[in-house]
Amino acid sequence: MGRRKLAVLLAVAAVVLSACGKMDDSQIMRLALPQAASDRGDAVWNLWLGTWIAVLAIFLLVFGLILYAAIRYRRRSDDEIPTQVRYNLPIEALYTIAPIVIVAVFFFHTVTAQNEITADVENPDHTIQVVGSKWQWTFNYLEPEATNGEAVFDFGDTENLPELTLPVGESVRFELRSPDVIHSFWIPEFYFKMDVVPGEGPQKNRFDMTPTREGTFTGRCAELCGLYHSRMIFRVNVVSPEEYQAHLRDLQARGQTGSPAGMVSADTVAGLGDSESGVEN
Amino acid sequence: MATTAAFEESRTEATPRSDRSASFGQRAVILLTTTDHKVIGNMYLITSFFFFIVGGILALAIRANLAQPGSSVLSDEAYNQAFTMHGTIMLLLFATPLFFGFANVIMPLQIGAPDVAFPRLNMFSYWLYLFGGTIVVAGLFVPGGAASFGWFAYAPLSDSVHSPGMGGDLWVMGLWLAGLGTILGAVNFITTIFCMRVPGMTMFRMPIFVWNTLVTSLLVIIAFPIFAAALLALAADRMLGANVFDPATGGPILWQHLFWFFGHPEVYIIALPFFGIVTEILPVFSRKPIFGYVGLVAATLMIAALSVAVWAHHMFVTGAVDLAFFSFMTFLIAIPTGVKFFNWIGTIWGGSVSFDTPMLFSLGFLVTFLFGGLTGVILASPALDFHLSDSYFVVAHFHYVVFGTVVFAMFAGFYFWWPKFTGKMLDEKLGKIHFWLLFVGFHMTFLVQHWLGVEGMPRRYADYLPTDGFTTLNEISSIGAFLLGASTLPFFYNVWVSRTKPLVQLDDPWGWGRSLEWATSSPPPRHNFHSLPRIRSESPAFDLHHPEIAELELIHNPDEDSVFADAPDVNGKADVTGHDTKKDG
Repeated sequence: MGRRKLAVLLAVAAVVLSACGKMDDSQIMRLALPQAASDRGDAVWNLWLGTWIAVLAIFLLVFGLILYAAIRYRRRSDDEIPTQVRYNLPIEALYTIAPIVIVAVFFFHTVTAQNEITADVENPDHTIQVVGSKWQWTFNYLEPEATNGEAVFDFGDTENLPELTLPVGESVRFELRSPDVIHSFWIPEFYFKMDVVPGEGPQKNRFDMTPTREGTFTGRCAELCGLYHSRMIFRVNVVSPEEYQAHLRDLQARGQTGSPAGMVSADTVAGLGDSESGVEN
Repeated sequence: MATTAAFEESRTEATPRSDRSASFGQRAVILLTTTDHKVIGNMYLITSFFFFIVGGILALAIRANLAQPGSSVLSDEAYNQAFTMHGTIMLLLFATPLFFGFANVIMPLQIGAPDVAFPRLNMFSYWLYLFGGTIVVAGLFVPGGAASFGWFAYAPLSDSVHSPGMGGDLWVMGLWLAGLGTILGAVNFITTIFCMRVPGMTMFRMPIFVWNTLVTSLLVIIAFPIFAAALLALAADRMLGANVFDPATGGPILWQHLFWFFGHPEVYIIALPFFGIVTEILPVFSRKPIFGYVGLVAATLMIAALSVAVWAHHMFVTGAVDLAFFSFMTFLIAIPTGVKFFNWIGTIWGGSVSFDTPMLFSLGFLVTFLFGGLTGVILASPALDFHLSDSYFVVAHFHYVVFGTVVFAMFAGFYFWWPKFTGKMLDEKLGKIHFWLLFVGFHMTFLVQHWLGVEGMPRRYADYLPTDGFTTLNEISSIGAFLLGASTLPFFYNVWVSRTKPLVQLDDPWGWGRSLEWATSSPPPRHNFHSLPRIRSESPAFDLHHPEIAELELIHNPDEDSVFADAPDVNGKADVTGHDTKKDG
């Protein structure tokens, strides 16, 4: 009887879980994640789903044990004296070894996924320098073909949201730069963020990613950066490669050429070398 | 003079306001000059609870602001100050000193000591904490307001260019001063535990709370000096024009390493003592000894050792740390933590479980901390942390861990030890109302925040847009927060009405108390014990009050004194209980 109930439960769980997917229209079926929009989405999604299955199983097991023990062994009369058990070595060995196995399996999958997520693309199709500064974003499209290699940029502030335009299906390298404090570049649909750290040294962060579907998303600064941190959001437009090219030419036509490394009015930035700042605009 | 005066005081503390034998001035002098560990402990408990209320009010302001998009309860600047001070107060002025409160009152009693090793240093530590904490909070009342760079004060946001103003300076120097008090207090506890245990109280007969106090204090003297040094360097940057955390020389990442090398052990500094409290409570209300004593101690030591090797999991998205190493070390913490869970369940299992308020809060801790621990494993995976870091998922996770541990166990400890502190019981009915309001309020506030974070809501955002789709869950969260805040009222009322309750007049009002604090009067005399029982196990009070059941324990665990038994040192226990069929160990 109990076994049959368990089987039914597992079957229902299997059906429900197999219906889950990173592109499902229902947020519940995506386990709260936004609809994926990058080529790294699969690695995150598979780990996310698998992890939650394991986490909920462990939660239900341990929670069940706590609840069962509390109810089953509740005091029924005031003079009860239970067996004074102090230890049980086989059980102790079991509950020490089981977590080791679980953790080892999880570690294997996590490393596999993180290598996939952080993998570099050889010769990415586009390079965009993302400059986070208090409290706006500037997007420098470096050496684009559309403008015969002339860098163009787009910017905005907390009133007029900056727009980042990306071509669908083409790989992009994001170089993250900050002239002031730490920011963090997060596009929830990409299931990824990375800090934008000011200064020299190993903190010159970059990552590669390929958008996989067209759409408009909201990107956010995810690291506290001062007064208007919560207003430091931006629009992400993933468009066809043709529209992308047209957009860059449009920026060029508007005179937004160069690659400013700070706010649009700044032309030198402390901590960045000459080659990367001092761009006229 | 000090001896009798402080003795009077412990009585006065026990019965606030009903005892008119001392005038206000006399009592003030006693408080200012006392070296009694119990009085100092009470001062720690009362002061930290006051800071808990201040931090809680800030939290309600935060939740009020987030209940609706576009609300203007707080300006952006006030909001940033509110969460900065909320985090700072809750971690460093509430949770950490709360440990010093409980450990001060209970630990010397549990090891049969008359006081801590350095009573005057103990007093000095308290005053450093009080003045340091006051300096930090004073930031709220100076022009420009309090610090607003977040409780981890990332450089260069925390420097004098990006965060000018007195509030930031007060934050830095106040925490430094309070931190000095923390270090000195930890030295005091370590010395006390190593040098002042009553004869017979071997290390493996110490109650788990004492073990955890010891391990916590060791962590304090590892982590807090780093923090103190980093704060002074930050002060030099802010006030003397130094460039320690200058971006041009990698300062931002340097600060993060220093801060989290302190910050992660700090999480265990505020967790381990509260694990200890729960571990004291479960056996009493299950009528069974703790299950797997040695394994539990080993798990605590392993958690402490690992806690100094996982700091960079706070830095996965900085691009500056080794992901696999710190992920693996963090995963490893799940193993001793899992062991602890099974020890706790094993203690309840097969017992006679009653649901008195301390037990309810302990069970509430188990459930809450279980979920917080599991989401911690998720966050320890860099692949998932890339998305979740700095989102509300993290906020939800650490409230499950920290609130689940500190606050649930704090109230468990209050209800449990209140008769020992004051000689009076707290009301059970009010206690249960308190628990259920707190439990429902807490989960309503924080469960939905996991979802918000995964959806894409970053932490530390003063506002969001109606089109973001965050509104409903934020409403639920805010309602839960006010319910949670209201749950404190029955507790205050309970404390208030308890003042006229009759004294319990018993050493052990719970009847199944195990450790040594239940073998002296409630409240205890100035130097704690008029006589001490022979210590032949980790439960000397129990052996004294229930020798026949203590004897049963030897029968139920026939190999208890073998080297392989996962049990405390019970060598010679048969002498105390009169059990003579067992060979001498």
